[in-house]
Amino acid sequence: MDWMNQAALSAQKSDAVFFYVFGLSVAFLIFITALMIYFVVRYSKKRHPVAEQIEGHLGLELIWTSIPLVLFLSIFYYGWTNYEYMRQAPRDAMVVNVTARQWAWSFEYPNGKKSKVLFAPIHKPMKMDVHSADVVHGFFIPSFRLKIDAVPARTNTTWFQATKLGSYDIECTVICGVDHSLMLSKVIVVPEDEFKAWYFGGEDAPEPGKSFRAVEAHPDLKDLPPGLAVLTAKGCLACHSVDGKPKVGPTLKALFGKQEEILVAGTMRSVTVDESYLRRAITNPMDQVVRGYPPAMPLTPMTEQELNEVIRYIKTLN
Amino acid sequence: MSEHVHRDDFGARLGMWLFLVTEIVLFGGLFIGYSYMRYKYPIEFHHGGAELNATLGVINTVVLLTSSLTVVLAIVAIQRAEKKRAMAFLGTTLALGLTFLVIKSFEWAAKFHHGLYPNAPHLATLPPGEQVFFGLYFTMTGLHGLHVIVGLTILTVMLWWVATDRVRQDRYIHLENSGLYWHLVDVIWIFLLPLFYLAA
Amino acid sequence: MTTHAAPAQPSFLVDTGTRKGLMAWLTTTDHKRIGLLYLYSMVSFFLVGMGIGFVMRLVQLTTFQKLITAQTYNALFTLHGVIMIFLFVVPGLPAVFGNFFLPILIGAKDVSFPRLNLASWYFYMVGAVLAVLSLFTGGGAPDTGWTFYAPFSLKTGTNVSLAVFAAFVLGFSSMLTGINFITTIHRLRAPGMKWFRMPLMCWALYSTAWIQLLATPIVAITLLLVILERFFGIGIFDPSKGGDPLLYQHLFWIYSHPAVYIMILPAMGAITEIIPTFAKRTIFGYKAIAFSSMAIAGVGSLVWAHHMFTSGMSSVATMVFSLLTMVVAVPSAIKVFNWVSTLYKGSIDFQPPLFFALTFIFLFAIGGLTGVMQGALAINVHIHDTYFIVGHFHYVMFGGTGFAFFAALTYWFPKMVGRMYSKKAIYASWFPMFIGFNLLYFGMLILGMMGMPRRYYVHLPQFHTMHVVATVGSWLLVLGLLMFFGALLYALFKGPKAEDNPWGGVTLEWTLTSPPIQENFETIPTITHGPYQFEQESQ
Ligand code: HEA
Ligand code: HEA
Ligand code: HEC
Ligand code: CUA
Ligand SMILES: [Cu+2]
Repeated sequence: MDWMNQAALSAQKSDAVFFYVFGLSVAFLIFITALMIYFVVRYSKKRHPVAEQIEGHLGLELIWTSIPLVLFLSIFYYGWTNYEYMRQAPRDAMVVNVTARQWAWSFEYPNGKKSKVLFAPIHKPMKMDVHSADVVHGFFIPSFRLKIDAVPARTNTTWFQATKLGSYDIECTVICGVDHSLMLSKVIVVPEDEFKAWYFGGEDAPEPGKSFRAVEAHPDLKDLPPGLAVLTAKGCLACHSVDGKPKVGPTLKALFGKQEEILVAGTMRSVTVDESYLRRAITNPMDQVVRGYPPAMPLTPMTEQELNEVIRYIKTLN
Repeated sequence: MSEHVHRDDFGARLGMWLFLVTEIVLFGGLFIGYSYMRYKYPIEFHHGGAELNATLGVINTVVLLTSSLTVVLAIVAIQRAEKKRAMAFLGTTLALGLTFLVIKSFEWAAKFHHGLYPNAPHLATLPPGEQVFFGLYFTMTGLHGLHVIVGLTILTVMLWWVATDRVRQDRYIHLENSGLYWHLVDVIWIFLLPLFYLAA
Repeated sequence: MTTHAAPAQPSFLVDTGTRKGLMAWLTTTDHKRIGLLYLYSMVSFFLVGMGIGFVMRLVQLTTFQKLITAQTYNALFTLHGVIMIFLFVVPGLPAVFGNFFLPILIGAKDVSFPRLNLASWYFYMVGAVLAVLSLFTGGGAPDTGWTFYAPFSLKTGTNVSLAVFAAFVLGFSSMLTGINFITTIHRLRAPGMKWFRMPLMCWALYSTAWIQLLATPIVAITLLLVILERFFGIGIFDPSKGGDPLLYQHLFWIYSHPAVYIMILPAMGAITEIIPTFAKRTIFGYKAIAFSSMAIAGVGSLVWAHHMFTSGMSSVATMVFSLLTMVVAVPSAIKVFNWVSTLYKGSIDFQPPLFFALTFIFLFAIGGLTGVMQGALAINVHIHDTYFIVGHFHYVMFGGTGFAFFAALTYWFPKMVGRMYSKKAIYASWFPMFIGFNLLYFGMLILGMMGMPRRYYVHLPQFHTMHVVATVGSWLLVLGLLMFFGALLYALFKGPKAEDNPWGGVTLEWTLTSPPIQENFETIPTITHGPYQFEQESQ
């Protein structure tokens, strides 16, 4: 089932426990509330003028001590065993060094490859060694139901095995200063072969994730509108959809003329997307990052003419 | 309205004991921190301890213990309505308390001289464990020193009250409680001694 | 039921001493007046905290972010937390109703140390003022959250030191009150008032006092260390000097978890007084409730690290603390079931206090059950530090302690000020309050499950709808509250004179005039039976 885009084994483990406890809780809540209401009505002054003085009942006390105790212990046990699973990374897991600093995430792979977003092959265990360069941060992937604090002078670890292609939020959960709420990134779950291609592909290997390219994917560039052709060729579509789907980067659909919240040096601005904005966004992506997205856009060299095509094409997407 | 509530020495004593409990827990927090850190840095704590002057520590212990004794004697004297002796004993206690502070201040001065104080450039060069050790050393002895000062102030007031007969044979609960407080100060020191001076 | 036509002596509200008016109040050692001093000061600070909470909700409507910067928002939730925790729920019921009714309930003229009692109030005020000052002085309002986690709290340029010192002073106030209550209960019970003849409110206050005594010093020293760190850099929490942030977290929660039971136990005590009075029957399972209070106090001091499951503790520690967390939930369950059973075969006289008491049970159950979810490790790693937590603790602290406070206020108000309020108005205020409350805080629970982290100035688009719902809820809630306090305020000045025993209660306070005379009892009563004996009445 897909509940709150459950996208990893850990998510299934966590949700299983949640539903168990949730079921119990609802049952008890209804039971208690119903009982209260019934008593209040049934034994109201009118219907029941003289109260019976009942001191108590040992049997009942024992029952409602032991039953909740047993239930609570079962909750503990279920929660604990599943947690142990979520915590013990398998030996063959690939180890990624996650570094948190005010206010950004960075990921380093065993072969020294660095990235601002976390690329992960689907169905493969990935182990996270989480560090912090300054204060305490929290590494949180809601769709994986995973969280581990990044504590300075300490290495905490967690692991996951993604079960769904896609791009998922990474959020910082421990108050770490003024831009705590902007300390975001993304996990990009990609097919293994694509991941390998990127991972072993040296410096200029294209970033993985092309497979999300929606229907607009097309073998033959010549029959595409020139702008789209460029986007396809330059691999922009790895991170940008043209049909509104969110990916690593914002979709390019209906982008032109839109109000965009961008971060310039950590402070938020609101701008309307126009020619010059698009130019800057493409020619030097890092100096103004769209809110909610990692500063992950690589600088992709383009000729002036290509650039114009791209912009003209983006305009057509409204 | 307190005047109307009948006098209850036992209650007062109970209250004082409860207060002492909170004091012990207060230092307890520091002791937890100490054990946690010592467990983390056994060797560094050993070295840190070596830096401290054990003999001075022991002398101070003796000083405090005797001062505790003299307080008890003062109380006994009051119970016997021997005002003069009581005042004499209280005086000695104050003197001993001050001696303790003087010795301690010499110790601290020496540490500062060797640049072994928090944020000192020299300390920063030492391994982290030792920095923590001295951080704890100054915190705990400092807080204890503060308690000594408070204790001395209270005892001075007591001395004055004895002099002015506000504390007498039939009404010495205040002196008794002050004595309890002074014993606490003493007991805490008994713990600090092995933790720091005898850590080596 | 002796109903004095005219009180034999002047009520405690009348100045008899040499001092008159305000001075008479500021120098009083009468436990009842001190109780009212706490009530008035607390409500004022409380309204500040409420205002802040209200603004925080507005911020979550992104349209308001022009007005408030991220820095301000961080300051807002920190101050909101500090005020609500240290100035409102922790002193909360013990300071107000404990002070006012503990001596009366055990048949005493006052607490053991009346002057110390007044001193605690002054400590409280000083702490409160310092907390507010920290807003405007130094490097600006602290931005660390009420948890002051190191090393951020050591590095931030904001005025953490003063805020932390304020909390330190408030801790003192709380400790002294605890000492006072324990001694009072041990020494000043009326003749014949055996331990198991005490009203259960006293048991609740007794267990609370012990927690205050044993837990508060830990946070005191911890906060002291933070100050020392900031001024002298002693480096115990600072990793760059070999210190350990986790040590801070442990020390902080060793106090702050027990503190949550400081908040709830007196609330439970008040509920336990109210239900029998309106069910016109004795409490179900007196001893079970008395012991569960002590059990909560005991076990509750062993579960602190359930706030640190994701901090990287050893897997053994996480296991043990999760287990203990489950155990501590049991006594609360026992209480809930006993309360409900107390309604069974009663003769229920439905009045505002009972209405709020039952609402308390419902909201506290939700809060508690979400607490149990958080205690389950596999769930905690997902919801820790999300709005789910925020939802949980508002259910327990506001839905629990807060509503218990309302219940207690409506229950004892006539006794305390000698005037009756309009029941209609109170009932009317319940509806916006209840609906708004659940919109607001259940919304937060859902947000948390969706993965909305707490202490976020801006949120991602997918969370916006729920945030709007919650904010609308907060408007209803505040509306209800204003109606509530409005009604009481009106009654305070214009309300009709209250009878001595408007609810037909049988605990000692109802044998007194409303308001009581200066030393409560002309003659100290002799107790011959348990606290909730309704037989004599029906005969
Ligand atoms: C009044 C205050 C109060 C109270 C009473 C409680 C009560 C409980 N709390 Fe809560 N808690 C807080 C205030 C409180 N809490 C605060 C302020 C925080 C956040 C601090 C911060 O980070 O800022 C917090 C956070 C918090 C956490 C940490 C979450 C995290 O940060 O990851 C946890 C985890 O275990 C927890 C658990 C519990 C449990 C198990 C109880 C139990 O005592 C609840 C017991 C009650 C019940 C269980 C309900 C009644 C029983 C029944 C209806 C019986 C039937 C039920 C069953 C058989 C299932 N709480
Ligand atoms: C009792 C404690 C209490 C109470 C009553 C409240 C009341 C409110 N809280 Fe509170 N809240 C906290 C304790 C409390 N809060 C704490 C500890 C935190 C964590 C801070 C941190 O992260 O460090 C927090 C955090 C917090 C957040 C999360 C901030 C974030 O993480 O980004 C939000 C979000 O909107 C919020 C909203 C509100 C609102 C809208 C109200 C209210 O405005 C709702 C309106 C109504 C009332 C406030 C009246 C309640 C009445 C009573 C309780 C009894 C009345 C008694 C007397 C008058 C004496 N609070
Ligand atoms: C590694 C993934 C990646 C690739 C490849 C990539 N981008 Fe981006 N792009 C992003 C991210 C992330 C953002 C949002 C953060 C930012 O603005 O830097 C973004 C932002 C943008 C924006 C601004 C969008 C807005 O909502 O304001 C434009 C325009 C854009 N990219 C165009 C391109 C073009 C054209 C290419 C190909 C030459 C490209 N991108 C390649 C990741 C990528
Ligand atoms: Cu990093 Cu919050
Ligand atoms: Cu807790």
